[in-house]
Amino acid sequence: MYVSVYKIKPKVKSAPLAPPHSSAKVKQTMDQLEFNRRQMLTIMGGAAAAASLPLGAFAADPFKLWAPGIAKVGGKDWAAMEKEAGISIANIAKSARADESIQKMVVGDGNKLYDAMTDNGGGMEDALASQGAIVEIDTSKIPNWANVDARYKEGGDAADTIRHEGKVVAIPYISNADSLAFNHEKVGEELTSWEALFDEQFRGRAAMQNDFGPTLTNTAIYLKQSGKQDIVNASDMTEDEVKGVCGFLIDLKKKGHFRTFWDGVQNGADLLSSEEVLVSSCWEVIQIFAARKNGQDIRYGSMKEGHQAWNNVVMLTKGGQERGMEDSFNALANVYLSPWFGSRTLAGLGFTPQMTGVNEYIESNPDEFDADTKALLTERLARKKERNENPGNAWQNVFPTNIRAYQDWWARVQAA
Amino acid sequence: MDSTTSKAAGGSSVGSLRPSLSETMGKWAFRLPIIFMVVFFALPMALTVVFSVFERTMFWMEPGFSLLAYENFFFSARLNNFLSSMYYSLIAVAICFVLGFPIAVFLRKSVPQVAQHRVVLLFILPFMVSEVIRVFALRPVLQRNGLVNETLMDLGLISEPITALLYSHTGVIIGEVMSFLPFIVFSGFLAMEAVPKYIFEVCDDLGAGTVRRFIDVILPLAAPGIFAGCVFIFVNGLGVALLPNILGGAGAVNAGLIATQAIAALDFPLAMAVSAIMMATLMGLLYIGHRLFDLTKILSPIN
Repeated sequence: MYVSVYKIKPKVKSAPLAPPHSSAKVKQTMDQLEFNRRQMLTIMGGAAAAASLPLGAFAADPFKLWAPGIAKVGGKDWAAMEKEAGISIANIAKSARADESIQKMVVGDGNKLYDAMTDNGGGMEDALASQGAIVEIDTSKIPNWANVDARYKEGGDAADTIRHEGKVVAIPYISNADSLAFNHEKVGEELTSWEALFDEQFRGRAAMQNDFGPTLTNTAIYLKQSGKQDIVNASDMTEDEVKGVCGFLIDLKKKGHFRTFWDGVQNGADLLSSEEVLVSSCWEVIQIFAARKNGQDIRYGSMKEGHQAWNNVVMLTKGGQERGMEDSFNALANVYLSPWFGSRTLAGLGFTPQMTGVNEYIESNPDEFDADTKALLTERLARKKERNENPGNAWQNVFPTNIRAYQDWWARVQAA
Repeated sequence: MDSTTSKAAGGSSVGSLRPSLSETMGKWAFRLPIIFMVVFFALPMALTVVFSVFERTMFWMEPGFSLLAYENFFFSARLNNFLSSMYYSLIAVAICFVLGFPIAVFLRKSVPQVAQHRVVLLFILPFMVSEVIRVFALRPVLQRNGLVNETLMDLGLISEPITALLYSHTGVIIGEVMSFLPFIVFSGFLAMEAVPKYIFEVCDDLGAGTVRRFIDVILPLAAPGIFAGCVFIFVNGLGVALLPNILGGAGAVNAGLIATQAIAALDFPLAMAVSAIMMATLMGLLYIGHRLFDLTKILSPIN
């Protein structure tokens, strides 16, 4: 059961300066001086009334959301999200860089600027909560919390990505288990193992992400599950484990195996669609964009060894709470946990919905999802389920314990 | 004599002794650039060095004295990356000079004086387009099935696409040349102010060949301007992270990208150290250039 629409009316309207219909009449019946005096009194009265209101009265202000474009569905702007949540949203574009979030929220003035923000779960929520930049969320005020994916309630790695010291401080809105995209037409078979990414048949036609986090984690998963290296936790490796993983990549790089390490969606999609690379470990959205671009048969496999799982979460800032924006946040969080959002982010960008009831929603809305789209989404959802349930998966860890070893060894991979 | 005394003594006006408003404004007009440079250039530069020796914390840094950031730079693969980006920047500088300086000479020597500046303005046009777009636009030209490869294959000159044009050091160098070539044209054009037109005629009269005329006459006279243009290209090659990011191969980096990656990993002292090292490199280059070519000549007329 879910609540598809959860609307909150603006709580307080700002005090009117003057009755809207009265000014013309006023101008006809009194001289300019009198008018100005009355007008001034009205303004002063309005200002005094506004000053006496509690902080919550400003909830009618737009809800300032610091989030990237992928946090919205339903069009190029935020209108559909606003309509669904029943709030006015002022979106401030955000990158996915952890340093930017930390700079703004911990060192800078982010709490003055933003009521809510998004970022990677699995590290950022702990970092921000430990610094008092975000606050606990009262999930009882979010009706659709009842539908959140069970893994967030059961404890374990996924549940940890939205909690700090046992308290829920973040609401997941998208997630995925990253995998291998490949040009099926050129490769000629379905790829189901990371082995293909490192296989010499794709020498010079393979790519990975230019980011030590996902690249080292996915490589570690492969090395661990294939028995090529002893790794305890692919999400949080020791220095020796990092050294082993990077040694493996350096060896391949010296042989000219990697065409490049990609940065950004456009870059990653171009690589695949232009056939510069035939196999690439990447986000699913890259595979979708690459396949759409020239209509090529570029697929996203399920790797038997496992995948790096990740999510993106939305958080209420301390400043947002102080400005009385909690209800607006809950309204938005409720939309993020609704199948209305989940089905659209699945269809548009290929992200995994974070709630139950998506298939039912798609079934019950044939006017929005035609038969082809329905079949595509059902199949996409099934593959996601398969990937997400792989026991070899490792969750994204934004701040691994030995982050310096990750950085230093990644520099060596780059220099090789 | 203060104003009160002067008034009492003979009635001369106060305004005649005090500096007028326009005089005061005039003085500040000259001071403002200095203040601006101190506040927005010298001070941040000094702070960069100071921050580079701060202690790294989980999310930021705290005052202290630690050379760990420099150790992390000089005793890691980052130094190799830095040196290799210097090497490839030097290649880009050389190519820019070979392609760009003759254009500057041609403009000064062969284009009528009234049209010279208009022609130079043509080189500004590419800057009207965002650099990201300009660099991205190279992709469809250089890629495996791009314009260059398709053309060469259609002409039967190659049977397999040349893959070294993109996602390689070659790709980065091509990007640097495309992005920075106008700078050597501008600086070369300005440098050629030091070479009056009659010099060409004198050389012709004395029978100096093109090569000798270039090496013995033009180059020494225009050297300060050429050097300034080369330094500009070199430093940009080191610092503009965009180029290796978009056109470079697996892990292609330059100093700018090293600093960006350090910031992304919240290692702010390391990012500051990389910036300080880049600044030191630039200062060192300028010092050498000044000793060799007397860079003050850039601003001096030939006569």
